[in-house]
Amino acid sequence: MRNLQGKIIIGFAAMLLWQACSKEKKVTFGVVPEVVYEDKARKNKRKSDAEYISILYTNLYQVPISPNQLYRTQNTIFSIGDRNVASELVLSNYFNTQTLKIPTNTDMRSNIDSFVTNTYKRFFLRYPSEGEKTFFKNYITNNNNVTVEMVYTAFASSDEYQYY
Amino acid sequence: MNRRDFFKKAGIATAGGIALPNILPSGRLFAKTNAPKAEYVVMVMFAGGVRQQESVSQRYLEDSQDVAGGAGNIMPNLFKGPLPNKKIVFGTNPGNNQPDGSEPIPRLLSKSMEETGTVFKEMRAQSAGHYVGLNSLVTGNAGTSQGLKVRPRNPTIFEYLRRHAGFKATDTWFICNTIGNSYPLLNSSTNADYGLQYGGNMFAAPYTFGGIGRSILGNAKPYSKSDLDPMYFMKNFLDQSFGLTPDQLTSVKNTDDERTQIKEFVRTIFQRQTAGQIVQPPVTDSGDAVNISYAAEVLRYFKPKFLTVNLSGVDGCHSNFTGYLRSLHRADHAVAWLWNYIENNIPEMAGKTIMLVAPECGRNLEPNPILDQNDWYAYDHSDANAMRVWGVMMGKGVPNMSIGNENNPTGRLTDLVPTIADIFGIYDEVMASGYIDPLAKSLYLRM
Repeated sequence: MRNLQGKIIIGFAAMLLWQACSKEKKVTFGVVPEVVYEDKARKNKRKSDAEYISILYTNLYQVPISPNQLYRTQNTIFSIGDRNVASELVLSNYFNTQTLKIPTNTDMRSNIDSFVTNTYKRFFLRYPSEGEKTFFKNYITNNNNVTVEMVYTAFASSDEYQYY
Repeated sequence: MNRRDFFKKAGIATAGGIALPNILPSGRLFAKTNAPKAEYVVMVMFAGGVRQQESVSQRYLEDSQDVAGGAGNIMPNLFKGPLPNKKIVFGTNPGNNQPDGSEPIPRLLSKSMEETGTVFKEMRAQSAGHYVGLNSLVTGNAGTSQGLKVRPRNPTIFEYLRRHAGFKATDTWFICNTIGNSYPLLNSSTNADYGLQYGGNMFAAPYTFGGIGRSILGNAKPYSKSDLDPMYFMKNFLDQSFGLTPDQLTSVKNTDDERTQIKEFVRTIFQRQTAGQIVQPPVTDSGDAVNISYAAEVLRYFKPKFLTVNLSGVDGCHSNFTGYLRSLHRADHAVAWLWNYIENNIPEMAGKTIMLVAPECGRNLEPNPILDQNDWYAYDHSDANAMRVWGVMMGKGVPNMSIGNENNPTGRLTDLVPTIADIFGIYDEVMASGYIDPLAKSLYLRM
């Protein structure tokens, strides 16, 4: 009787061991590469002054702004009632420096389509609609005095750029 | 079309042609309900908590520090009365080993404002604190539920003037003395009926035009109109495409031309700083004088119909009574200089301006335990005495009167907004807005 009990226990243990040692199934998950862009209609959160300034600075200089410079710029913008005026003044100061990383006017005019698309991606993190693309393409083509600086100022001081 | 239809349509078209240009943002025809009393108003939110005793009551050290025979007037430009003749500490340093502060600043006005305008000697503040006190002055509402670090809940005078009198954004200015204490938020409310779309322009001038502001803004490119037009054209296209609703506005709205004008002003100020041409009072050893200087620059450049400027130097009274007296004397000097500057250097505003001066709150009757270098006690602001304030009006058509006294308080700080509305001829609209303190009314009606 005792022998039988022992055999049952050993048999049960062997079954468990057999179950536990079953071969692991290999499952591979695949991710389809997809670039995600923002949707204009979903931008409903306003950037804080600090966010606006750091994003703008990085956008134009391709390096992060120092905390000290960020703090000073933030307070200066706060000290002016019209935020747009303040932003335009800050931008105008940036454009008066030599270390900006922006396309040249020749680059812009050599491929306006690509410039417009890249500008939308750079500032608004989205592609332009056909209407937007046509507007800018026509406007830049028909106005020889329009520069990269002017286009960038318009984008950086626009309402959409204040939101994410 | 028959002849009857033709006349009918022609009549409608003519009436529309006449009426449309006069429709204001408020939706009503024609701007004014009654004739304006003046073309320009400057309101000085005076100084940062002023005790009646050292200001309009002219008690100097007699009440505050129990110095017998220590009474006297240390605000000779605002009030009539002789200077103290004992323990003079509020003036400038005369040199020659004389004690610092022993030389009072000479009076700038030939006659004090009390002798030429109307003084409300005993008014009531609606708050013993700075921010709510300033709120009362710019909203005409007691602001009992007003929080800190948020814009006023009730419409400000800027919004009333822009909405009901049709003023441009650059017609209304707030020159703020700091970026702290939530003060820069006072140029517009969060009120759904008004809000940022009707807000006034603002500079926290000592910051915008100080060292830091200069380092951030001082290298701006001087864009010409031919540069700016395409920028604004493209920006306006982008903004229309994004379509913010009024409740999503993030800033006061100026037109393209106004924005250009403001940027040009900022550039001009930095140039004038470099050339040492910023206009300023004779004595400029206080932050208040600096703020008044920039208020004068804004007045000179924009000639706004309404400008308000705040001063706060006297708030040092929390810990230094001597400093408080000096600041009070200097604030009086700075206000007088501003008035003289308007009358003598801005021809468009001379003789057409009314100035209103009032503190946002008073200070306590009893001191705190902090002693200063002269062993004088300091004062906070939290008791009933801190609700005692005064008001001064002077300028175009303001009669020479003295109204109220300690036993007969007359006027409230919330009266100032109705008074300004009255001056600009939009009293009825503002009073009917539903946002004004029910006990407030134009100071003209209290005369």
